Amino acid sequence: MLTSPAEDTEATVVVPARPRPRRGVSFRDAGPPVALIVIFAIFAALSPQFRSVANVQNILDAAAVLAVVACGITFVLMMGSIDLSSAGVMGASALAVALLVENNRNGNDLGLLGIALAILLAAGLGALSGLALVMLKVPSFMATLGVSAVGLGLATLMFDGVQPNISDAMLEGWATGRFLGFSGLAWIALGCVLLGWLIQRYTRLGRYAYAIGGAEEVLALSGVKVAPFKVAVFTLAGAFYGLGGVMVTSQLGAGLVQAGKGYDFAAITAAVVGGTLLTGGRGGVLHSAVGVLLITVLTNGLVQIGVSPYWQGGVQGLIVVAAVAAAVIPQRRRNQVVK
Amino acid sequence: MTVTVEQAAESVVQPKAAGLSQRLTAWMPVIALVAILAALTVADPGFFTQRSLTAAAMTAAPLIVLAAGATLVVLCGGIDLSIAAMASLSTVFLALWLPDLGGLATPAVIAAAAALGAVQGVAHVVLRIPSFIVTLGGMSIFSAVALVVSDAGTVPVTDDSTISWLNLYVARYIPMSVAVALLVVTAIALVVRLTPLHSWVTATGYSESAARLAGAPVDLVKIGAFCVSGACAGLAAVMLVSRNFSGNPSMADNLLLPAVAAIVVGGTAITGGHGGLWRSVAGALVVTLLRVGLPIVGVPSAYEQILYGAIIVAAVALTLDRSKVMVIK
Amino acid sequence: MSIDVEEKFVTPPPAPVPALEVRGLVKHYPGVKALDGVDLVVRPHEVLGLAGENGAGKSTLLKALVGLVKPDAGEIYVRGERVRLRSVVNAAEHGIGMVFQEQSLVPNLTAAENIVLGSEGAGVRGGIYRWDRMRRLAQEQLDKIGSHIDPLARTDSLSFADRQMVEIAKVLRIEQRSQHPPVIILDEPTSVLEAKEIETLFAQVRRLREFASVIFVSHRLDEVLDVCDRVTVLRSGRSVGEVPTAGAAPAELHRMMIGSTGSDDHYHDNVATRAETPARPRLVVRGLSGRTFRDVDLDVHAGEIVGIVGVHGSGREDVCRALFGAEPTTAGEVTLDGAVLQLSGTRAACAAGIGYVPAERKIEGMVGPMSVAENMTLTRQRARCSGPLVSPRKQASLVDSWISRLSIRTPHRGTPIQRLSGGNQQKVVLARWLVSGDVRLLLLDHPTRGLDIGARSEVYRLMRELANSGVATVLLADSLEEAIGMSDRIVVMSDGRVTAEVGCPSGAKPTPLDLVKEMV
Repeated sequence: MLTSPAEDTEATVVVPARPRPRRGVSFRDAGPPVALIVIFAIFAALSPQFRSVANVQNILDAAAVLAVVACGITFVLMMGSIDLSSAGVMGASALAVALLVENNRNGNDLGLLGIALAILLAAGLGALSGLALVMLKVPSFMATLGVSAVGLGLATLMFDGVQPNISDAMLEGWATGRFLGFSGLAWIALGCVLLGWLIQRYTRLGRYAYAIGGAEEVLALSGVKVAPFKVAVFTLAGAFYGLGGVMVTSQLGAGLVQAGKGYDFAAITAAVVGGTLLTGGRGGVLHSAVGVLLITVLTNGLVQIGVSPYWQGGVQGLIVVAAVAAAVIPQRRRNQVVK
Repeated sequence: MTVTVEQAAESVVQPKAAGLSQRLTAWMPVIALVAILAALTVADPGFFTQRSLTAAAMTAAPLIVLAAGATLVVLCGGIDLSIAAMASLSTVFLALWLPDLGGLATPAVIAAAAALGAVQGVAHVVLRIPSFIVTLGGMSIFSAVALVVSDAGTVPVTDDSTISWLNLYVARYIPMSVAVALLVVTAIALVVRLTPLHSWVTATGYSESAARLAGAPVDLVKIGAFCVSGACAGLAAVMLVSRNFSGNPSMADNLLLPAVAAIVVGGTAITGGHGGLWRSVAGALVVTLLRVGLPIVGVPSAYEQILYGAIIVAAVALTLDRSKVMVIK
Repeated sequence: MSIDVEEKFVTPPPAPVPALEVRGLVKHYPGVKALDGVDLVVRPHEVLGLAGENGAGKSTLLKALVGLVKPDAGEIYVRGERVRLRSVVNAAEHGIGMVFQEQSLVPNLTAAENIVLGSEGAGVRGGIYRWDRMRRLAQEQLDKIGSHIDPLARTDSLSFADRQMVEIAKVLRIEQRSQHPPVIILDEPTSVLEAKEIETLFAQVRRLREFASVIFVSHRLDEVLDVCDRVTVLRSGRSVGEVPTAGAAPAELHRMMIGSTGSDDHYHDNVATRAETPARPRLVVRGLSGRTFRDVDLDVHAGEIVGIVGVHGSGREDVCRALFGAEPTTAGEVTLDGAVLQLSGTRAACAAGIGYVPAERKIEGMVGPMSVAENMTLTRQRARCSGPLVSPRKQASLVDSWISRLSIRTPHRGTPIQRLSGGNQQKVVLARWLVSGDVRLLLLDHPTRGLDIGARSEVYRLMRELANSGVATVLLADSLEEAIGMSDRIVVMSDGRVTAEVGCPSGAKPTPLDLVKEMV
């Protein structure tokens, strides 16, 4: 006997909640620049030293290397992977350039060519990470951890117990020279951010990196070979890290194995704070640049008002965890597997 | 409740021969250990003596403890990158608390480290943050705290009477620290093996969704694993302090890579479920012998890092469970 | 010779070559014949509907047509030419494209990029994007369906209906590749649309007819009859007929979908052994609502098997999971034996005596590499422990006793469960809830999926015995026959709501036809 439910309800179809279309500027896009302005204003009010022109120049110089590294890691993050190799790769390229340009250890004087070779070495290390990911199927955080160790090892080998001090005028000039009030390094960083943005917006590499983070399976279904693009992205990131390592050598006047120390985590923090999601598919070079400024302003400001610089790393750690939590919480589902 | 089912004729088992690579990875740490010992003895016949082996074992003790604790987290399918920074912080705590707490300082430090580990576990479970991000963040937070608390310098230990026993020898040849390390690993391994924890940990690592749907307490198990990892970092710190007579905010920092290498060389799969604590002990011995042995074989110790990197990538590639991860990022 | 009137022999125009033809397509999966000789003809410029209930083979057929699945036998002809479809891209080259059920767009790219993905052509030169050209390429396709979407808008900023337009435009691009009118497959396109959007979609589909052929798949027969020219009905992996929609009645289609009522005597329905159904229901669900279901009421008595039937989108799977605490609910109350349940998580459900057998056995039901014994003892610990420690002796005897009681064929209790056949794996998963002896409610989600006849029969017998011993059971069956054969009562759900309740006592069982009416 067939019975229908007693009430004659207007049995409307139950439409499951659909992803709501994102319109306009989201919090993730507008938040960081606003935060930057607010934080800058707060510190400017708290410390007269902070708002001096010399200090602002300081901030930009300090941000320069981080900006270049963050540029590179942004592409990896957009794809949905992670890159822990920047510290090791920077060390390798820092030592390489120190030994290739005019220095006190050997008779090389390759100038610009030396810089190019160092960046090439770094790009090669990046390619290693990419190849380990696509061919050996090693998850990116493990592959890049390994490559970081390899980079540090190479740097140690090149260091060979005697610190190479550079005497190449051009390379030294990057850090010391000033143009329109900003150091050469700051200009290089600006150029990198611009280049990164152009790649992201106008090249297939950039757009596909973005797409891989958004929906990799769809690309594969459409006949796109995803693997070469992944390797290319890691190689590009490696090149950026290489340039960062060269910039550190310029800053320090010498090639150090620990040239990249701390940059790996700071770059991730900057990218995440700027709005680039760790799960990929959102954010970009401009977002990361804002994040870099945010972090640098925060660090500089905290020091200016008397907070111990040792807290830097801790603050960054808290920020990353908070930022990731904030990003993940809206998407929580019961029984979701988090590894 | 009487329930019986009649048999139906059907083919019952789909036999699957264990692949060669599977068998290889099962024995990987032992093969590597024997190979390295052999190579080192060939290079320097004086190596295979009681003295150098004991010295090597003593160096290995903190690494053994560190790797074993972190293995538990990996078995659950996660990773703990904060172990080294946690150990460094714990050395600072121990050096600072010894004068006041005396004999209680050791358990206090271990308890504090366990608590910090539990906090990471809770953040991972409640906030749904991937474990490597939580522990990456934890790593920098612990480092920062260590720097501030120690004022970025070494904290000397003047009265080490309560921990100097770790430098003694058991049965005249075995360093106490090694004995303690093996004891602790045995204890943890037994607790896991003999209780339902073994099933729960393995199920969580192999298939978290199936474990949850079977009613396993996945969240508690994960938090517990992080807690144990932290406690092991604390214990490793005690061993380090007893050897160096001081605490330092970066004392254990260079142990992260070796610890990760030890875990993967031991054959524990990074995807979770498969592996074991004793494997990591073997892996830790392999890694230590590598480090100690490089100069003996005539290879500059600068190659150490490169070796760690290559080992990690190769070992992970071999032990990864391909069927599990469809899209690897 | 004067030629005045000649008889002109007007030869009738030849029958148009079908845009797509399928002959005798066969696809087997272990334990199940998904396609068992399917024939299909799609004429040029027509909208063909595809109908059939769960398990009829619709989704496998679509996957084969679009290159995702290789058939074991049979032929596919495109415009009269035999083709072998190796991949989605290959199918696109032959002019076949599908608008997938789960949206297959990259959300963070622009609509234009999605439309030309993989075949950007002039839009990208030397790796550099020419955005003006991209816009133009995309606009070409959007114009065909008369859509006003901005091609350079970010895809996830578009409404759901607009995104579907982008997907259609993407599929239309196939025309560039194959130079022929494409065959476009729409797989349940209306599942997530609201009424107004559905009208727009139908208008688009009618437009599409002018320059393409369309295969339209929907479980809502009224929609199929509305927008299609003809309907092909599938049943048990075969085509059972095709009818022009003009003047066709839903009843006719129901009959074709169901066929003769299957006999249910292998469902072990033995009236004699049935205990008296108690008056008060054990499980009482009132007003349960969640993401995909609304206002669900359900009563299950001890010893009773209640089957919930429904087609795609009915929400019944989520109701099951919600009762186990594995799916969040937004409203409603659930009581078990008089006590209100919190359903905060799976642990709470287990503690309350509820068991759940998931549909995806390999992913969610069992932990593959772990042994039979470990899988069986994962839930209840008291049965195998002495104090806090696991007693190997207790575990061994417990597991062995259940292995023999359920006739689980395994070399040893320590064998990894993934080496067992599907039927035996399922028995282990079921045993998990039985080892403690105190299970009160069993939620079975497609428990016989992928099992062969023998294994199914064993599971049915097990279910009967459990019911007879007092366990309340909710069954989501693989087929209507199974539901009717096994259940004492049937609840019908459609599109998230309960639409009917049918008594199902042995000797007075409803026919599948009765049920299908309420399901679609």
